[in-house]
Amino acid sequence: MIFSAPLVYSLLMVVVASILLLLEGKWKFVCTFFFVYLTAGFFFDFVKNLDIGTSGTIILASLFLMYRIMPACAVLYYVITTTKVNEFLACMSRMHVSNKVTIPLIVMIRFFPTVYDESRAIGNAMRMRGIRLFSLRTLKSPVAFLEYRLVPLLVSVTKIGDELSIAAVTRGLSAETKRTCVATIGFRWVDAVVIAYCVAVVLFYVIPGLTGNLPSV
Amino acid sequence: MNISLKNISFSYSDSLDDAILKNLNLEIRSGECVVLAGESGCGKTTISKLINGLIPHYHSGTMDGDVLLGGKNTSDMTLAEISRVVGSVFQNPRSQFFNIDTDCELAFGCENLGMDPKEIKQRVENVVQEFYLEHLLGRSIFNLSGGEKQKIACASVSATGPEIFVLDEPSANLDLKTIADLKEIVSRWKRAGKTVVIVEHRLYYLRDVADRICYVKDGKIAEEWTPAELEAKGLEYATNLGLRCMNLEMLNVRDGVILSVVRQAHQPCKVPELVEGPQGSKEQDLAKQSIIFTNLTFSYHHKHPILDIDRLELPCGQITALIGHNGAGKSTLAQLLCGLQGSWRQKRAARKRGAYLIMQDVNHQLFTESVLDEVLLGMKPQNEKLALEILDGLNLKQYTENHPMALSGGQKQRVAVASGISSGCDVVVFDEPTSGLDYRQMLAVSATLKKLAASGKTLLVITHDPEFILNSCQSVIRMEQGKIVEQYPLSGNENHLIKTMVK
Repeated sequence: MIFSAPLVYSLLMVVVASILLLLEGKWKFVCTFFFVYLTAGFFFDFVKNLDIGTSGTIILASLFLMYRIMPACAVLYYVITTTKVNEFLACMSRMHVSNKVTIPLIVMIRFFPTVYDESRAIGNAMRMRGIRLFSLRTLKSPVAFLEYRLVPLLVSVTKIGDELSIAAVTRGLSAETKRTCVATIGFRWVDAVVIAYCVAVVLFYVIPGLTGNLPSV
Repeated sequence: MNISLKNISFSYSDSLDDAILKNLNLEIRSGECVVLAGESGCGKTTISKLINGLIPHYHSGTMDGDVLLGGKNTSDMTLAEISRVVGSVFQNPRSQFFNIDTDCELAFGCENLGMDPKEIKQRVENVVQEFYLEHLLGRSIFNLSGGEKQKIACASVSATGPEIFVLDEPSANLDLKTIADLKEIVSRWKRAGKTVVIVEHRLYYLRDVADRICYVKDGKIAEEWTPAELEAKGLEYATNLGLRCMNLEMLNVRDGVILSVVRQAHQPCKVPELVEGPQGSKEQDLAKQSIIFTNLTFSYHHKHPILDIDRLELPCGQITALIGHNGAGKSTLAQLLCGLQGSWRQKRAARKRGAYLIMQDVNHQLFTESVLDEVLLGMKPQNEKLALEILDGLNLKQYTENHPMALSGGQKQRVAVASGISSGCDVVVFDEPTSGLDYRQMLAVSATLKKLAASGKTLLVITHDPEFILNSCQSVIRMEQGKIVEQYPLSGNENHLIKTMVK
């Protein structure tokens, strides 16, 4: 078998996230994700058994980082793009999580798409001035490139963050009041199946590991 | 519910020495519609924040005096309690939504008040019918136009059924047609006996709705008129106070007289180079030529082209207005001209031709630590003397060492213009440069643009502002559904312009 056991098990988990994303019609994202993820995973498997120097270790580390973090990013992407604010709030309050925890989280979820939007506008403005990522100027002073990108982003994002919280508080969102929710949310058999599957995969991986020998696939 | 502001003084800092409101008194009766007008920075937005409770509960500062909503002091209420009686709509449609889809947004306020889900559904259904929103249900708010967003904002505030509505420059980003819808919404609230407070620069659409117009100056209510009174005082009176025009029809049914008043009022701001002789004849020479763009098509899906223009002709050295309703493809056209959208070939062509876009939010295009660096950044090769000359031409010479983000809105815009000039583009595109500006600021922007045109640049300005067009543009292009419907010189066609904008 070309893949090692950890990769196979993490693949089994990644499949869950991809099916969920495919159900939302994000096939483009899933395709790119799988391509990069499998390439990184395969090369990691391949490279780690070789005798490598310092540069090899750096490559190995970055591949490792990529293939360990990417699944988490995919799940985050799924959560952010598909969770409605009110459903999230209702679900958290049903789980008896305090509003003091929930509201910052919800602001974060709302914030990501906005940051993306802003960042794109700034990228446009930079392109018009001839500041590109792949250019001699950026090569000479990469810090300046980061600064051009980040300073306007920080300025506009703090402003938007402020306006968003104003929008929320003037509409009566606060830590004290009890909210209701129009959306019907609940724990259904689909959720049970997904959780059972995930728990099963984890157990299959962990139990043989506890007894001392990793399964060979 | 009546609102009374008693002896209000407020300052955003620790002491009342630099107070933005000074001993202000204002009584608004139940069911009244009051417009707060005045120049930027006069404190009118602060008044609206006092009414919706953001002051003192959200913004910190020093406050003196009482705000009573139906007899209750806002400083004794929490923001959640205030939100039951006061609904707020803000200027920026981009950031006043807390949800990412329209359905949730409409229910959001009611949910926060802890209403029964059944009742919420009923209420949402009601507002959807009242505001004609059927076609907007279930959409992501990132895909709505500015006008659609503002409608959703009004409807979702309306769903909770507050007694008082506070609107802060709701029309800033809207076209004239959508403003007419906004007017309809305000008059609906008024008919239902609600109290409405609107902070606004554009006054004309509130002519039939408003009961009172309060002119705020230096932190006080300096004048009060009914709309009819203000209109009777004439255009010149209003423009001297820095107010926008009260009646578009007056520009429309002009008979030459009114318009010339408008023009006269603008005279002092006219840039001298434009009026004087030798420059003028040069300008006429330039006007005969024009810059031609071809193959301006763009679509996300093959079946629905967003933009479909074979040929666009811009008269050289002139200011051309680009009008059309929200969602007509104006911004897409601008992005295509500047090489920010479109196919690889279109982008390459745009890079050669060089159009430069001044964005609506200029904060996006200021990167460096000083104004001078900002201008030098796009220059190839960098020439400090030339950069200083450009800055001098735009009255920015004394700010060369300042941080661009620390300047005022108008100054920031001029810095962006300077960087556009320095990058050597012949065509400069402006995206709504005057939205949300008072009359004087509008004139200042207009003066900058005229100066730019006089120096030989060709300008294309996306705008919804008829006063601005009449003041500074020489020709007009109207777009509809991704196509250029008509293009005409402005002089002689003012009537037609206003008619098509309002329609």
